[in-house]
Amino acid sequence: MKYIKSFLGYSIAVVCILISIMVGPMIGLLAEPFIKTTGLRLSPNYDGGEVRQTIDHAAYQTLVHRMVFDNTLIGERKEGFVQVEWAPLAALPAHIDEEVDVNGDNQADFRLVVDTANKQSVLTPYSSWVQELEGTYRFKNSMAVRVRLKNPAR
Amino acid sequence: MAAIAQVKSRRPSLQLPVWKALLLSLPMLLISSFLWVPNLSGAGDSLALIAGIIALLGINTIFFFMLYTGKTDRYRAVMFIIIAIALPMDFIPWMIKTYGSMMLTDEIVYSGGASFCPLTMPMILIPALVKRVIIFPGELLPTMAHGAFSLMFIIWVAASLSVGMGWCSWVCLYGGWDEFFSRLRRKPLIKNIDRRWIYLPFGMLLAIVVLSAITFTPIYCEWFCPFKIATEFQAPVNLLTSIQVGIFVVLFIGLVVVLPILTRRRVQCGLFCPFGALQSFLNKINIFEVRVDLDKCSECKQCLRTCPTFSLDESSLKSGKTLITCTKCSKCIDGCPKGAAYYHIKGTSLKASPQTARILFVYAGFVLMLIFGGEIVNALYRIFKLITTGSML
Repeated sequence: MKYIKSFLGYSIAVVCILISIMVGPMIGLLAEPFIKTTGLRLSPNYDGGEVRQTIDHAAYQTLVHRMVFDNTLIGERKEGFVQVEWAPLAALPAHIDEEVDVNGDNQADFRLVVDTANKQSVLTPYSSWVQELEGTYRFKNSMAVRVRLKNPAR
Repeated sequence: MAAIAQVKSRRPSLQLPVWKALLLSLPMLLISSFLWVPNLSGAGDSLALIAGIIALLGINTIFFFMLYTGKTDRYRAVMFIIIAIALPMDFIPWMIKTYGSMMLTDEIVYSGGASFCPLTMPMILIPALVKRVIIFPGELLPTMAHGAFSLMFIIWVAASLSVGMGWCSWVCLYGGWDEFFSRLRRKPLIKNIDRRWIYLPFGMLLAIVVLSAITFTPIYCEWFCPFKIATEFQAPVNLLTSIQVGIFVVLFIGLVVVLPILTRRRVQCGLFCPFGALQSFLNKINIFEVRVDLDKCSECKQCLRTCPTFSLDESSLKSGKTLITCTKCSKCIDGCPKGAAYYHIKGTSLKASPQTARILFVYAGFVLMLIFGGEIVNALYRIFKLITTGSML
């Protein structure tokens, strides 16, 4: 028994060294399968959540993300946000004036007027649960606005 | 003095003959070449190649001397400190070139542009398990130069299996700062530290795990991480973010610089870091440990006084073991006047060869050092760029 434990101990120690050696080369091979298998994704706090609707314009698209209230461990929050994005950046006009339906009821919930050159936006809420503008952001290939919302379900 | 010299000369040594140290260093030369050369040869820049060759020779020289002299801690600390200093030398110019500054704006955060840091592991685990989301504004898969979640997670799992809490003395990108400042003075100015402070990292761990799960944000990163001064931080655009910046500056100066200088201990790592607290639980599953041979121990308690992470106390010494917070740095092993402290492989006899256990552990730890040790190459390259072109970018 003593010899078996000793053999196992040394064997595991050698395995530890092999793990240390192989982790570097194997990272590249393991990373994508790891993410795909686990189904992990970035918190919607950061990526704005999935795109719910894409609206085609002549030279650019409007990407309306889903409303985000589930950035919490259990259930939904009373308040959240929605991200509206326009891409590609190079094709955006100097001013964007758009009414946005975020809950899919075919009725506009707010209007956004965006000065893309100066990164300024004006929000006109149409629904009572649309609160205020959080910010206007210029990403690498798009422009986005986040609008703070009250959770209509709560 | 003569008595001390006599004791030191009688002290059993882990020193190896030159030929044996050279022979045992050869596999490390092969391993480090295998791990680093593919990246260097793809760089397409002679300066990068020179930086790589210098770094490769340097780290293998350090490894040789670690084996030859038997002084693990001394040479481990050299590598550890160099890596910690190299990180901001590479990372900060990269931030400036990529984003224009060290500061994270909302745009960078919302586009997943923050580099994933392994210290966030405790905070992201519960949201990842419950909601399958990563509450950190970084990439999941690597597309940019520095740190994606998947890479850091795999490294963390591998290192935890391989060296347990040895992460804190062999792998951590930041611990070298603490290590450096704790070695500046020859003697501590503050000697008596209340041992109850060693529970603070566990309290911090619980707090940040709970708060992060509630707020769905990485609380430690936003409020408590002292190392943001060496990497990236939220732009101070309002009162809240200005307070956050102020806190991490104070924490860095206090926990990483001043207190380690005064105490000669790794205060941030041993008395604050919640990631270290998490790793100490994982220490239980690691095959390597540090033990004390009670037959040889003279109870001088030098190990208690010098352990940088407070991982030895009276009762653990009496049982011949270290506490779960032991980072396997080897300071007690190198400093024990009787050679009573040693690396041990669980399951093997307590009288089994400490040299064999040491060599096996040092191999595991040093190879893991090479993963982030690539920052040394990058930092050297940037220094060469600065000399030749006047810019580190």
